Amino acid sequence: MIKPNNKKGANSMWNMFSSMKLTLALLIILAVTSIFGTLIPQQQEAIRFAQGLSPGQLRFFELLGLFDLYHSLWFRAIIGLLALNLIICSVNRLPTTLKLFQSPPRPDRSKPFEDLPPERSFLVEEGVKDAGNRVADFLRKQYRQIAIKSTPEMNYLYAERGRYSYFGVYLVHFSVLLILLGGIIGSLFGFNAYVNILEGDTVDSIVIRKDMTSMKLGFSVLCEKFSVEYYDNGSPKEFRSELGFFIDGKLAQKSSLLMNQPVTFRGITFYQSSYGSIPGKVLLGIQKEGSDLGESIIKVETGETFSLPGSESQIQVVDAVSNLNEVMGPAALISVKPKEGEEMRFWVFQDIERLRKQYPEAMLQAPRMNPSSFKPFTFFLKELENRSYTGLQANKDPGVSLVWLGCFVMVAGFFLTFFTSHRKIWVRISKSKDETKISVAGRTNRNPLALEKELDSVTGQLRKLVDREGKKI
Amino acid sequence: MINSVILSYITFVYFASFMLYLLMMVMGKEVFGRLASILTVGALIAHTFAIILRWIESYRFDMGHAPLSNFYESLIFFAWALVLLYVLIEWRTKNRSIGTFASLLAVLIMAYASFGSVDSRIQPLVPVLKSNWLITHVITSFIGYAALGIAFCLSLTYLIKKIDNPKRKSFFLKAIPNLDILDELSYQMIIIGFVLLTLCIITGSVWAHSAWGRYWGWDPKETWSLITWLVYAIVLHSRMMRGWRGTKMAILSIIGFFCVIFTYLGVNFILSGLHSYAT
Repeated sequence: MIKPNNKKGANSMWNMFSSMKLTLALLIILAVTSIFGTLIPQQQEAIRFAQGLSPGQLRFFELLGLFDLYHSLWFRAIIGLLALNLIICSVNRLPTTLKLFQSPPRPDRSKPFEDLPPERSFLVEEGVKDAGNRVADFLRKQYRQIAIKSTPEMNYLYAERGRYSYFGVYLVHFSVLLILLGGIIGSLFGFNAYVNILEGDTVDSIVIRKDMTSMKLGFSVLCEKFSVEYYDNGSPKEFRSELGFFIDGKLAQKSSLLMNQPVTFRGITFYQSSYGSIPGKVLLGIQKEGSDLGESIIKVETGETFSLPGSESQIQVVDAVSNLNEVMGPAALISVKPKEGEEMRFWVFQDIERLRKQYPEAMLQAPRMNPSSFKPFTFFLKELENRSYTGLQANKDPGVSLVWLGCFVMVAGFFLTFFTSHRKIWVRISKSKDETKISVAGRTNRNPLALEKELDSVTGQLRKLVDREGKKI
Repeated sequence: MINSVILSYITFVYFASFMLYLLMMVMGKEVFGRLASILTVGALIAHTFAIILRWIESYRFDMGHAPLSNFYESLIFFAWALVLLYVLIEWRTKNRSIGTFASLLAVLIMAYASFGSVDSRIQPLVPVLKSNWLITHVITSFIGYAALGIAFCLSLTYLIKKIDNPKRKSFFLKAIPNLDILDELSYQMIIIGFVLLTLCIITGSVWAHSAWGRYWGWDPKETWSLITWLVYAIVLHSRMMRGWRGTKMAILSIIGFFCVIFTYLGVNFILSGLHSYAT
C-alpha cells in the first residue's frame, strides 16, 4: 500500500518540477523580487535607510535579508529552484528530442504531399529513372544527407538539414547552469579585496571586503608612482599606477596599472579602483619674539615629537589636513607641552594671509586658532607635503572562465534555437500519363517561412536544371 | 556644433513623416505613405551623416571617440537604430502601417535629446569608458532596444487591429496587415532584441570585469537589464512552450518594452548607480 503511494508522490514532485508553469512562475518571482532589490537600498547604502526605520520594521527587513537581498538565502533558493526546474525539464524532454534527432529518414511518406500548392509540381518529358538520377545528383550537392527509395513507377527522394537544431535549447539551458556554477565557484574559492598603497610604499597584505580581515599576499607590491592625467576641461583622462611585484625582496615584475587594464600576478588580479592623498611631512616655521635669530625651519612627520629650539618644551604635530573644514586650506594641529604647565593645542594655517582677510580678527585670535598662542613663539605652516596613494582592487575568481564559457555556449545555443531549423524535404517523381511529374514538399520544426523559401528555391532550381538540359516542361 | 544642429532639424523631418504616415492611415491615401517613406529615408541618411560628422568633430577636439559615450549620443543612436530597423521592415514587408508609431517613437526620442537638460556637447572619455568594449556594448544594447521598440509598435498595432470588424469601413484598420503577420513579425523582432540584449549584458559583464574586477555586481542598471531579460525569457517560453499568441503576446511585449525604457531611463534618473556617466 505504501509503495505505490510513494511512487505517486515522487512522480507528482517530478511532474511539478518539470512543469512549464513552475518555470514561468519562478521567472516572474525572480523578476519581481529583483525589482525590490533595486528599490530598497542595499549593503553600504542601506545603513542610512535603516536609521529611518522603526525597530519593528528593522527586524522585519533584517529577518528577510532585504538589506542584502541578492545574497539572501531565499533569493538564492529561488535561483536554485529555477536551476532544478531547468535540469528536470531538460532531462524530461531529452528522450523525445533524441528520438527526433535519430529518427531514420523516411523517403516514401505521402503526408507532406497532401494539400500541396500547384506551383510545387511540374512535368518533364524524360522517364522516372533519368529524372530521379538528375534530382538525386542535385540534392546530393545541396544537402549532406539524402535518402532514396525507388520503384519502377515512383522515385522518392528525401533530403534534410539542421537536425542539430533540436539541441539549441539544451545548450542555452546548459549555459545558464554553467554561469551559475561559475558564480558559485567564484564565491566559494575566490575573494574580493582592496589595498591602498602610498607612493613609494610597499605592501604585502590586502583586506578582504567580506569580513574586513587582512590576508597575506605571499609577495609584496610597490607603488612606485601614481598619476592622474587630465583633459583640458578638467575631467580625468587616465589613472596610472606604476607597480612593482617583489618575491622575497627580488623584483619579479614591473607593470603599469590603468583603468580597464588590470594586472595579474600569481593568480591575483589588481584593478585600478580609487586614489587619494594623505598629508605627509610638515614644514614648520618658528619665530621667537624678541630674538634676533630669525625664523627657524623644521621638517617633521605627523606624530613626530621634537623639542622647541631655544626652550625646554616638547612639540608634536598631532594632525595635518590638506583643507581644514573644506575652506580653510592646509593646516597643522600643533601640541605644545611646556616643561611646566598645561599642554596646549592650536591650528596653524598655511594660508594665514587669506584667512586674515576673510575672517574676523577675533576668531583668529582664539587660543585654538592663534599661531602665537605659545608665547613668545609664533608658528607658521610653510608647506604641507601631500603623499598620494593608489587604491587597488585585488581579486581572485576561479569561476570566471566558466562564466565566459557559459556566455559563449548561450550565444551558440541561441543561434541554433532561433536561427536554424530541422528542414526535411521530399521530392516525389512519378509517372503521369506519358510524362513524368516532379513534386517538392517539406516539413520543419520551426520557422515555416524559411522552409517555404527553401522549397521555392529548390523547385525553381530543379525546373531550371531540366530546362537547361533542353527538356520540355 | 554643426552635428547637433543637423540632428535637431532631423527631428522636424521625422515629425513630418509621422504626420504623413498618420494622414495615410486616416485619409486612406497611399500617396501620403510614399511621401512619408521618402522623407524618412532622407532623414535617416542625414541622421547617419550627422553621426559620422560628430565622430569626426570629436577628433578635431583631440579626444576622438565614437559618438556613443554619453546620454545625448545614446538617444541619437537609439533613434537612428529604430528608424533603420523600421525602414528595413517597411522595405521587406512592403507595408507602412507601423510607420506612425515607429516615427512617433523616433520623434519623441530625438525631441528628448534636444531638451536643454540633455548636454549635447562632445565630452572626452573618462578613464572607465576607455575600453574596446564601449562600442560593442552600446551598439548591441541600442539595436536590441530598437528591435524591442519595433516589437512594441507592432504589438500596439496588433491591439488596434484587434478592434477591427468587417462592418467598420475604416481604411485606418484595413491598411494594417492581418493579425498573424503582425504577431509573427513582432515575435521575430523580440527574438532579435532578446539575442542582442543578451549580447549587451555579456559584453557589459566582460567590460565590468576588466574595469572593476567583477562581472556582476547587482548594480541597478545590471539588475534592471536582468529583469528585462527575464521578462522577454518569459515571453519566449510562453510562446514556444505554451503556444501563447496574439493579444497575450502583444500585452507581454508592451510590458517588456516598458522594462526596456525603465532600464534605459528610469535607472539613470530614479535610481543611482555606476552608469551615471550615461545621464
